[in-house]
Amino acid sequence: MNDKKLIIDIENISKLYRMGVETVYALRDITLQIHENEYVAIMGPSGSGKSTLMNILGCLDTPSGGKYLFGGEDVSVMDDDDLADIRNRKIGFVFQTFNLLARATAIKNVELPLVYSGRPSGQRHETAKQALIDVGLEDRITHKPNELSGGQRQRVAIARALVTNPSIILADEPTGNLDSKTGEEIITLFRDLWHKGNTIILVTHEEEIARHANRIIRLRDGLIERDEINQQSNLN
Amino acid sequence: MTFVEFKETIVIAIDAMKGNKLRSLLASLGVVIGISTVILMGWVLTGLQTAMDETFRMIGVDILYIDKWDWAGGKNWKLVRQRKDITFEQADIMMERLNNAELIFPTARDWGGSIKYENLIFNGITIIGTTSNHGLTSAGETIEGRYFTPFEESIHSKVVVLGHKVYTTIFPDGNALNQTIKINGHKFLVIGVIRKQGTMFFDFIDNQVFIPVGSFVGMYGRHNRSISIGIKAGSEEMLDEVREEARGIMRSIRNVDPKDEDDFSINETKAFENQVATLKLYVWGIGIGMTVLSFIVGIIGIMNIMFVSVTERTKEIGIRMAIGAKRRSILFQFIVESSTLCFTGAIISLIICSGITFAVATILPKFVEEAGFLTPFLPFQLLVIASIVSIFVGVLSGIIPAIRASKLNPIDALRFE
Repeated sequence: MNDKKLIIDIENISKLYRMGVETVYALRDITLQIHENEYVAIMGPSGSGKSTLMNILGCLDTPSGGKYLFGGEDVSVMDDDDLADIRNRKIGFVFQTFNLLARATAIKNVELPLVYSGRPSGQRHETAKQALIDVGLEDRITHKPNELSGGQRQRVAIARALVTNPSIILADEPTGNLDSKTGEEIITLFRDLWHKGNTIILVTHEEEIARHANRIIRLRDGLIERDEINQQSNLN
Repeated sequence: MTFVEFKETIVIAIDAMKGNKLRSLLASLGVVIGISTVILMGWVLTGLQTAMDETFRMIGVDILYIDKWDWAGGKNWKLVRQRKDITFEQADIMMERLNNAELIFPTARDWGGSIKYENLIFNGITIIGTTSNHGLTSAGETIEGRYFTPFEESIHSKVVVLGHKVYTTIFPDGNALNQTIKINGHKFLVIGVIRKQGTMFFDFIDNQVFIPVGSFVGMYGRHNRSISIGIKAGSEEMLDEVREEARGIMRSIRNVDPKDEDDFSINETKAFENQVATLKLYVWGIGIGMTVLSFIVGIIGIMNIMFVSVTERTKEIGIRMAIGAKRRSILFQFIVESSTLCFTGAIISLIICSGITFAVATILPKFVEEAGFLTPFLPFQLLVIASIVSIFVGVLSGIIPAIRASKLNPIDALRFE
């Protein structure tokens, strides 16, 4: 069905939380494969498990059961340090609330993942600057987050996600805090990134946003309700 | 932990501190006080030690005094008082028999002598009758004039060599040489001034005058006091050998039964060293007490501020973890922050203490002569010690908050508002 490289390979994973004596299944039995250069939207009402799935996909959390191969590596058995390393090298996060360091300039924010991968400062600066240029912020390099608009902040966050050249970009409601016009711009930016060959996973509850993806996975009660190719995708 | 990360962590730490200048300053106050105590205490003790070493060197570290009395005390005072006097005859036998010593000089003392110059009377000066050999020791070095000669000694000349303090007291304008002073009513010609030897509480050794032993006997008589026998061993290495030889001779002269203890004391500058060691112990004791106390306050202050900082920056920790910071990177970040805070405290202390020491060492001796041993500069090793201590305190006070930060769950931390 897909001859592209398999990046995410999830087999029967579950996640359960114990709340007192009760056990709550956030994810029940999810099997999922995502290939290189896919543009996937994960949708579902609140409580459907999409945040949990996103945390597991992003290696911020580990599943209670099942197997998760990321680029062929079994991350379901990795320790905290190895997970941190995977997040650093392979995953670019974009959050709803941007999550930039308030005291640091745009370029320092973008450089941060490179600091943790041990890149020397000269090289770091150049790479981060290029990432900021790529998202259209060449004239905001030394601005701090509070000197930037919401859309610009999200662009900085996207530049930070891109700077390590990750295998996937994981965006959690990236337009949730933006007005619709700015949100549209960010979505356009994602589309451009997809065109350049990036793999994008978007978590959203807005049909409008999800429509842009070429594959939509719908969750309900910790299960995949539907996983379909989006025929109306306006990507092509 | 890569070097890049280490460097970046320090930059982050300094940034975080700059972001909260007043808070950081207040937090490090305890450390500033602690480090300042250590530095100032070390400064006083170093000065003390240097001054002592200098004094001992000038008195001569290779000189022994055989006395009835023990300088350091500690022996049963009543028993010591019952000892037989040490006499000139014993000193003469010692001079005949002792082979290994370089010089021997019998020394007779009047502790409460008075000196009259023109119409002024000076009391409480120690009058010492000794031989010209004393002039050959470092304790007999003159800065003006000369010591008396063997000839003057043999004819019981009425000449006197002044200790430095006596000189400055009686002749504040200088010009002591060839002046005539009266010692216990007898006229003496001033022929020399001894170099200053004592510092601080040792300055009694400068409050002495030296006259030929024959002149002393002429005034005070020969048998009404216990004298001491000064022996210059020649070098510190010879000290033990000479001491044992002198002890044997002395026991034989005084017919001490082999099973009895010595009925005399052999004194040397080491006796003072013990006293000074006790004094230093007190200074350290008080100092360490104060230091520990202020460090405890300091550590609590810094720890508290670090806990606040960790809580305030929970979200930041979450972000850092999400983009790839390992737990140990977060741990290290907060330990570096608290250490940087403490190290800054140390630098502030160094600046304050440099000011204090310079001011005290330049101004205080003008009013209190005894403070002359203080140096206007901080010893280098103190700066190193203070820096190391500050970083140690930083690590100590940062470790618990840092562990808490590193144990945060990235998902919860990211959700923190």
